[in-house]
Amino acid sequence: MLNVSICVGSACHMKGSREVIAKLKDLVKMHQLEGKVLLNGSFCTGNCQHAVCVVIDDTVYSVRPETAEAFFNNEILARVS
Amino acid sequence: MNITTEMASRSLNHVGEILCGDQVQIVHRKDSDILVLADGMGSGVRANMLSTLTSQIFGKMLLEGASLEECVETVIDTLPADPRTGASYSTFTVLQIFHDGRGILYEYENPGCIFIRDNSLVPIPENIRIISGKQINTFRFTARVGDTFLIMSDGTIHAGLGDLMSFGWPWEDIADFALRGHKDGQSPLREAMRICETCNDLYYGRPGDDTTVACVHVTNRTQLHLMTGPARDKADDVRMVQAFMSGDRNVKRIVSGGTSASIVSRVLNRPMRVSMEYDDSGLPPEGFIEGIDLVTEGVLTLARVIQILKEYAQPENVDEGFFKRLDEPNPAAKVARMIIEDCTEIHLYVGTAVNAAYQNPDLPLELGLRMNLTNQLSEALEAVGKKVEYDYF
Repeated sequence: MLNVSICVGSACHMKGSREVIAKLKDLVKMHQLEGKVLLNGSFCTGNCQHAVCVVIDDTVYSVRPETAEAFFNNEILARVS
Repeated sequence: MNITTEMASRSLNHVGEILCGDQVQIVHRKDSDILVLADGMGSGVRANMLSTLTSQIFGKMLLEGASLEECVETVIDTLPADPRTGASYSTFTVLQIFHDGRGILYEYENPGCIFIRDNSLVPIPENIRIISGKQINTFRFTARVGDTFLIMSDGTIHAGLGDLMSFGWPWEDIADFALRGHKDGQSPLREAMRICETCNDLYYGRPGDDTTVACVHVTNRTQLHLMTGPARDKADDVRMVQAFMSGDRNVKRIVSGGTSASIVSRVLNRPMRVSMEYDDSGLPPEGFIEGIDLVTEGVLTLARVIQILKEYAQPENVDEGFFKRLDEPNPAAKVARMIIEDCTEIHLYVGTAVNAAYQNPDLPLELGLRMNLTNQLSEALEAVGKKVEYDYF
């Protein structure tokens, strides 16, 4: 199972955590990866400058709502397929 | 015994008047809590001045440590009386409840106090004492946790007089109505408001008299610990969490702040789960740590909490709609509800670290100012009648 944590802390929230979560949820569903990818929320990881912070395997990625799909393709899809 | 009280009141002004002729004064002393309700004769400016004079004398003297009896004497000697009838220009009821459980009630010409214990009405016996020539009903008792006192001006028993009700709203019926609406755990303002709003309905929204209901709940001292913000020096994290976790199991605990929550989770070695379910409040979702009653995001949520508390601090703004919003499941309403309805004392554990990201010009200014937020929070807490203590890290 691939664990993907999306920060919903103050700074990330202001930068669009909600939209990022919604997009990633949709994409996971679309690719029928519910059994392989686990999305979960997290609070501050101390990288607020890079909001929205998404963590996979201890690596912090900076994702925006508009880059969510590219992030999904490059980082999530690439790992599970 | 170690008890305390929660007190609140609600007033209706005589139709067409800007000022209320009833005044409520609440005094918190080291040894006791005191509520004074004074009703000035007539309505408008004059009544307001008379009741203000009366309640202020009580308030100031009690705060200086005077006994209730001394205050009653001073008030009666000070108050002007109507030259024709000899009637005093202000009536009053004073209730003092000591933290050791002793209670004293002094009643002068107001409708009798409604006393609810174990979901039934307790009659207050007649025990008239003459103080400075006036008949004062005095009642001494030992307060118990759960006791409720409703103190009213005569606008309540006159509600609907000659209009909807031929003789107003009889005291017995008000007492019965109060008892039926009495529920454990609801705030005193809710309880006072319920009666006051009903009076307003009986007056068809045009009160023929100033109408006031004050409600006093006797409660255990209940503490809420609220931690917000990381410590300035990381080395203090453990000390801060230990202080926050101090006290017994009855202490309610809220962590407000993502980083703070992560610190608590790490120091206690209990995993944190963060919800991804958004409600329509526009606030970040809440988190969960075993043994912590509520985990929320920090600055945005607290800013909203402050808004709610400020609203609650202005009783005239508080209506049924307010309590409906307070019952909503969003994190800010939950924090506000715990503050308003679940505790009498609050201990704030405030971290003073500066989050570099909040200096980012892309983010709204409010984020940068945790200290400012903490100050606003403590002002709002005091305005809603909570005792507040602080520790800064």
